[in-house]
Amino acid sequence: MLECPNVVLVIVGLPDALAYPATHFASHISTVADASINSLNRVSPSLNRKRSRTIGQWLRENSGILFVLPAIILFLVFGLYTVIYSFVLSFFRWNGFGKFSLIPFVCNAPTCQPAGLDNFAQFLYKEPTLSRFFWQAMQHNIIMAVVVTAGTILLALPLAVALNRAVRGRALYRTALMLPMVTAGIAVYYVWSFIYEPDGLLNGVLQTIGLGFLQAKQGWLGQPDRALISLMIVMIWGAVPLATILYLAGLQTIEKDLYEAAVMDGASAWQQLARITWPLLLPVTVIIVITSINSVLQGYEMVYLMTYGGPAGHTEVVGLQIFKYGFGDQRQLGVASAMSWALFILVFLIALVNLRLFRPQTEG
Amino acid sequence: MASKLSGRIVTALAYILLTAYALLSIYPFLWMVSSAFKSNQEVLGSQSLIPSEIHFEVLINTWNQLDFFKYFINSLIIVVIAVVVIILIYSMAGFGFSKTNFVGKNVLFMAFLGLLFVPGVTVLVPLVQLLRALGLIGRDATQTATYAGLILPIINGAGPLSIFLFRNYFNTLPHDLYDAARVDGASIWRIYLRIFLPLATPIIATIGILNFIGIWNGFIWPSIVLNNPDWYTLPLKLKDLDLQIVIQWNVRMAGSLIMVIPVIIVFLLLQRYYISGLTAGAVRG
Repeated sequence: MLECPNVVLVIVGLPDALAYPATHFASHISTVADASINSLNRVSPSLNRKRSRTIGQWLRENSGILFVLPAIILFLVFGLYTVIYSFVLSFFRWNGFGKFSLIPFVCNAPTCQPAGLDNFAQFLYKEPTLSRFFWQAMQHNIIMAVVVTAGTILLALPLAVALNRAVRGRALYRTALMLPMVTAGIAVYYVWSFIYEPDGLLNGVLQTIGLGFLQAKQGWLGQPDRALISLMIVMIWGAVPLATILYLAGLQTIEKDLYEAAVMDGASAWQQLARITWPLLLPVTVIIVITSINSVLQGYEMVYLMTYGGPAGHTEVVGLQIFKYGFGDQRQLGVASAMSWALFILVFLIALVNLRLFRPQTEG
Repeated sequence: MASKLSGRIVTALAYILLTAYALLSIYPFLWMVSSAFKSNQEVLGSQSLIPSEIHFEVLINTWNQLDFFKYFINSLIIVVIAVVVIILIYSMAGFGFSKTNFVGKNVLFMAFLGLLFVPGVTVLVPLVQLLRALGLIGRDATQTATYAGLILPIINGAGPLSIFLFRNYFNTLPHDLYDAARVDGASIWRIYLRIFLPLATPIIATIGILNFIGIWNGFIWPSIVLNNPDWYTLPLKLKDLDLQIVIQWNVRMAGSLIMVIPVIIVFLLLQRYYISGLTAGAVRG
C-alpha cells in the first residue's frame, strides 16, 4: 500500500527499460498525466468521475496524507476527543463519581446533572467564594503575563545586543546564558525554594551587602507581599535564555550597512536602536510576546511545586485552580472544564490581538 | 578617534553585562552542585560555594539508599520512547505538510496549530477518563498504569509545536530537491527518508532536546497517571523527599543534581544544532 506510487511508475516505464532509466521515463509520463488530469478536473469534474483511472490518480495525488496519518490518529483520540469531551462537560455538573462519557453518552443522576451555563455563571459571579478565587487567580495571571513578558524582553534584548557585539567568548557566554532553559523543573525549583528560605541565600546576601531591611523574615515564598514577585523572578530567569537566542538570531539577519549608513548620517546609538534594531526585530518580539503570555497563562506546574497557590491564595493562578477542581479534594469537574474554556478563550484572543496589532509592520 | 573610543566603551559594557548575567544565570546551578557535597548544617549556615569539607557520601547515599537508579531508568525509558516516536511521526507530518499536497491539508494544519492554544490542564480530566475507558490506566493504587497510557498523551501533547517547527524547517529547504528526486523516480517515502530527513538534523536535535527536557522534568502528568510508586519517574521520587519531617537540603540538592546532569550532557553535546534549529524554526518561519 505504502509503495503504491513507486510500483505504478515502474510498471509504466518497463518497456523502455533498456533504452532509458525506467523510472525517469515513467515519472515523465506520470507528470504529463497529472497535468492533463488536473486540467480536466478543473474543466469538467463530472466527466472525470466516470473514469475509474482517476480514482487511482486521486489516491496518488493525495498520498501525502499518509505522512500525516499517525499524527492525525493520535490527534483525533487524545486531542480532538478530549477537547470536545471537556467542552461538553463544561455544561454539566459532575463530582467525578459514577460515570460521564461521550461515546455512548452517559450522565447519570444524581452524581451527574445537566447544568446549562451555570458552571460559567458560578465562577464568574454567582458563587461568592468560587468567583472571588477565580478573579484573584486571573488577576495574578495577568500581572504575571505583563511583568514576566516585559521583564524577559528588557533583559533579553540588551543581552542579545551584547552577545552580538562580543566576538570573543561568545560561545561560552551563550552556553552559560542558556543553562536556565535546560535545567528547568523540580530540581531548579528546589534550588530557588532554598534561595528564598527565611535563612536562605537571598536573605543572607541582602544582610551581607547591607540591605538587610529588604529581607523577607518569613521567607520570600512565605510572605504574602513577596511570594508573587519571587515566582515571577524565577519565571523571568527561565524565560530569558530562549528570548535572547531568538533576538540574537534576529540581530544577525540585520544588514551591517544599515548601521554604517546611520552612523554616516550622524545617528546616535540610541537612535540606531530605536529606528533600526527595534523595528526590524519586531517580528521576533511578537513571537516572544505570544509565547511568553501563552506559557504564563497556561502554566501552573511551577506554582504547584513551589507554593501550591499559597500563602493564603496569594500566588493562586487559574491553571492551578482548574487542577484543584479537577483533582483536588472537592471535585467539581464541570466547573473545572468551564474555567479551562474561559482560559482558552482568553489565551486565544490575546494571541489573535497580538498578531493583528503587529501584522502591518511585520509584513513591511 | 572619539567614535573608536566610544566603541570600545560599548564593547566593555557588553562584556560587563554578559558576565554579570551569566553569573546570575549559572549561580543556582553552581549552588546546587556545591550543596550536594556539603553537610546539611553547612548548607543552611554558609553562603560559600566551596564546601569546607567535601562529602561525597551524600551523593552516593542518595543514589543507593533512595534507589535512585531505579527511578532514573524509569524516567529514561519513558523519555527515550517518547522522543523517538515524536521525532519519527512528527517529522513525517511536517514533511507531509511542507512538501506534499492532499485534500484538507491547510484545515488539518490549522487544527493542529489550534491545539497549541488549548491549555494542557483543559484535557487532564478527559484524558484520565479516556485512558480508564481504554484500560490504559490503573483504576486504583493496586493496578499499575501502562506505558502506553502515560506516553501516548505526552506524544500527542508535543505534536502541535513539533509539527510546526518541522514544517517550517522543511519549508526552508528548496522544493527543487523534491522535484529533482521525483523526476529521478524516487518515491515520496524514499525522498523523505533519504533526502529530507538527513537534512533535518538541526531541527531533529532541537525538537529532541526540547522534548527531552520537557518530558524528563514533567511532573503533573506522571503524578496523575502513576499510582504505583515502583513506576515513579525521577521528579516524583524527588518530590517524595518532602515527606521527611526535617528537610535534608543536601539530599534534595544531590537528588536534583542527579536529575539535572543527563539533560546538561545531552544539551552540551547537541547545543550547536539545537540553537540553529530553534532559530530557523521560529525566526525564519
